[in-house]
Amino acid sequence: MSFDPAQLAQIAPLLVVLAGGVFLLMLEAFSGSRNRSYLMPLTVIICAIAIGLELASWSDAAHGSRVIFDGMLTADRLSIFMDCVFLTAAALSAMLSAGFMREHRFEHGELYPLILFATGGMMMLGAATSLVTIFLGIETMSIAVYVLTGSWRRAPKSSEAAMKYYLNGAFSTAILLYGIALVYGASGATGLAELGQRASVLGTQPIFILGMLLILVGLGFKIAAVPFHMWAPDAYEGAPSPVSAFMATGVKAAAFTTILRLFGTAFARPELATGVVGWANILAVIAVATMTFGNLAALRQDNVKRMLAYSSIAHAGYLLIGVVAMGVVGVEARGPVLYYLVAYTFTTVGAFGVVAWLGNRGDERLQIDDWAGLASRHPAAALAMTIFMLSLGGVPPTAGFFAKFYLFRIALESAAPWMLILVVIAVLNSVVSVAYYLRVVTAMYFREVGREPQPIRARGMSLALVICAVATLAIGILPGWLSDLAALATR
Amino acid sequence: MMIPIQDFLLLGALRFGLGVIGVILRRNVLIVLMSIELMLNAANLTLVAFGRARHDPHAHAFAFLVMAVAAAEAAVGLAIVVGIFRNRRSVNLDELTLMKH
Repeated sequence: MSFDPAQLAQIAPLLVVLAGGVFLLMLEAFSGSRNRSYLMPLTVIICAIAIGLELASWSDAAHGSRVIFDGMLTADRLSIFMDCVFLTAAALSAMLSAGFMREHRFEHGELYPLILFATGGMMMLGAATSLVTIFLGIETMSIAVYVLTGSWRRAPKSSEAAMKYYLNGAFSTAILLYGIALVYGASGATGLAELGQRASVLGTQPIFILGMLLILVGLGFKIAAVPFHMWAPDAYEGAPSPVSAFMATGVKAAAFTTILRLFGTAFARPELATGVVGWANILAVIAVATMTFGNLAALRQDNVKRMLAYSSIAHAGYLLIGVVAMGVVGVEARGPVLYYLVAYTFTTVGAFGVVAWLGNRGDERLQIDDWAGLASRHPAAALAMTIFMLSLGGVPPTAGFFAKFYLFRIALESAAPWMLILVVIAVLNSVVSVAYYLRVVTAMYFREVGREPQPIRARGMSLALVICAVATLAIGILPGWLSDLAALATR
Repeated sequence: MMIPIQDFLLLGALRFGLGVIGVILRRNVLIVLMSIELMLNAANLTLVAFGRARHDPHAHAFAFLVMAVAAAEAAVGLAIVVGIFRNRRSVNLDELTLMKH
């Protein structure tokens, strides 16, 4: 075992992001001027450089998976693909943050370094091929996001959200770590590939199974799956809207990447997946509970931001179907999950972005009545929100439609009757979900203006919303290339 | 005399259980934070016990890493508690009800 500095080149994007975070932190601390407007473009540039480095290594990654630091990390196409998703979410959230913070007068320059540190954690998580790096990645990501959630210090809601998110997050981390300790104790290995090999000898040893289930619970908290979701509505509602966008997309996507890797590699054996206490069986039940609860709770919300929070719980339920499918039909089920995550990221950042854009100082305008008649005043924003709502509901020709289509198709490939039931429940759920998404659309188009909207005017914000809307439409109208790319990434 | 590994594992499991009970039952944020530390400690103890039984130094290194991370996490947690206290002069979890629907 030795340290090979040459391998640092293979994690260059991660290093760029982390070093960029430190650089911005120092710049913010030591620059004399009160003006902080240069931080946002710099953040976006750092993300763009990292994406460029990722894309440059895409063709190299085809020649077998690259093992880094004795199997701690990898730089395969799955990690490259997901890193680009995290970095995009980070850049878009940063673009939303600038205008939002200026309007609500909490221009803390630390927000951008924290976004970059959290993104670094996500990238570590996306590349992690060992329980050690999974733990480290989750913590690097989570600790930064706890602070981001509470960054709007004067708003009591924000610090309350941070407290709830922190307590649940730290609790789940402890459970995850105990699970890791048990899995290590039973198998003597922490590398995922090694664990996968030893699992055949271990079979269904109780400590190993218990450890696996505890890890499942820990990750269940991170993706806000029912019954581990109770923090999510409050955390998403209380956090500043651009941070909610980042939490709902980046954090969730990173946790799902880990789940795909962990359960697709270390615990992939059929007796672990579909045995008596197999994770696929458990996740199938959790998936049904998550999407049904998320949708039913979202139906009765009058607060648009809280509705989006519950809807993001419901989407974790749909995504879990893909994970269950992976347990039954194998790793090719990862492709549709990746496609879904991309579609979901652009759509959700956009939706939270419009929420952030609509509010003005001292008045966040989160109630659905505040959205009445928006189309007559700001037709472009209303159109963008309509695109996002249709996409979240899974209506063609938006990204959300094909995301669900591919996901349900791979689930049906297994031909197991209970998978069919799962898909039927999911389809029913998406039909129900259209009802509350359309409520926002009807409020915007078919109701009279109540209070005159005074949205935030910020170029970065508008640009981010345009990018999200165009991407949501483009992925929906031309779904083939992204689906091919996602399939390549999982091979 | 070697203490058998089962004793360590049992102690770890007991402490983990106590931590979980503390998180679920106690309403003072600081006590809840301590309970979470108890859970992390239990996990660490289990990790080190397994590492010793297997003569594997990696587990010990991992335990140190966990300690460093847990310290960072606790620092952020206490900062959030201070933020909450500044806003409302209380650290009782049952009073965090701004967003109940």
